[in-house]
Amino acid sequence: MAGGQERALRRRIKTVQATRKITKAMELIAASQITRSQARITANRPYREGMRRIIIEAAMADPHAAGKLLGEPERVTNVLVLVVAGDRGLSGAYNSSVLRAGERLVAELRSQGVGAQIMAVGKKAGPYYRFRGLDVTRSFVGFADRPTFADASQVATAVAAPFIDGEVQRVVIVSTRFRSAGAQSVQVEQLLPLVMPEVPATPSGLHGYTEFEPEVEHLLMSLAPHAVESEIFTALLEGSASFHTSQQRAMAAATDNADELSLNLTRVMNRARQDAITTEIMEIVGGAEALRTGK
Amino acid sequence: MATMLVEIVTPEAALWQGSAQALMARSSDGEFTVLPQHTSLVTDVVPGVVRVATSEGEQSFCVHGGYVQVGPGEEPGTTRTTLLAGVAERVSEIDGAQAQADKERLEAELAQLGRDGGEDPVARSVLETELARAELRLRAIGR
Repeated sequence: MAGGQERALRRRIKTVQATRKITKAMELIAASQITRSQARITANRPYREGMRRIIIEAAMADPHAAGKLLGEPERVTNVLVLVVAGDRGLSGAYNSSVLRAGERLVAELRSQGVGAQIMAVGKKAGPYYRFRGLDVTRSFVGFADRPTFADASQVATAVAAPFIDGEVQRVVIVSTRFRSAGAQSVQVEQLLPLVMPEVPATPSGLHGYTEFEPEVEHLLMSLAPHAVESEIFTALLEGSASFHTSQQRAMAAATDNADELSLNLTRVMNRARQDAITTEIMEIVGGAEALRTGK
Repeated sequence: MATMLVEIVTPEAALWQGSAQALMARSSDGEFTVLPQHTSLVTDVVPGVVRVATSEGEQSFCVHGGYVQVGPGEEPGTTRTTLLAGVAERVSEIDGAQAQADKERLEAELAQLGRDGGEDPVARSVLETELARAELRLRAIGR
């Protein structure tokens, strides 16, 4: 029935437009969050750089003590993989690309005969890995959108515990790095043992003699957990900025799609309506004609 | 009077920055004071109140553990002192009632954790850190 088809199309157009309103709103919200999370990355930079400066300075003052702490373990039998994903979906490939990278890493480690356990940030990680038969030892939920430093230190405490106990010999973090609004990439970095930050070619602030209190070895030992906290916080901040960027892009694409879809549906609907009118006129004309000839 | 650049930096924001005559804090080796032209120094800071003497009077900060790095500033002959703290706040901005409420809530949660038996060392250490912070805030404002 022509009239029925028209009604069905009208309903579909309404649905598409309602969805478009939602995706448009999400796009705008995500866009405003990008600016905010970028500002937080900027605000975090002085702290992170100060932390790195102290570690470099301490490591240069006493390379022997630093070697003990920053050195590579002789044998790695167990690795902890910390995956930073998001709490929410509808964000394009953000979650799946970081989760897949974590999965690949675990598979690779296991093929080398190294045990691997997973800890994850974000609601999306647990179900993903469980479905694939991987165990998530600990899952952090509820702050992937807007991480605070307290959240980071909570995660740091959790990942450091098995390392301190000797249960794992290495901790790596898989997260999305935010290079700019246009470029984000998934990266795997080592958290523990600490990686010596790259020494700038022209070391600024490095000079003849520096006093350390307490001595370098103890200082580095107490510094290590804070350095890990700082690295995790950075990863969380960049992850959340990447999430919002990804979501904004996905929602913009969805909005465009909805526009196109509703335009096409409107065309189809108009044709259906015209068809219905034409048929009706034909019927009337045909009826009138029949009456006249029958007279 | 000689001054130096002092920065108090937390991961969430730069808390304070300005020129000062002295910075007083406590490290694991005891109290120390940094004056302009101090030799290069890296030291830890135990939780407590850090005081900064400026020409407009003294600023106090409640620092929940951190590190101080003293080094030469950008201009030759100047001194730059950076205090890095995971958590820190201005003493004048501490909400005493809030800290008191936090303290009581955390104590109750810790007691609850002990009673439940199922001991989670990570959860315990997170709560203990929070509790220590609430107690320090109360001490900083003299309650």
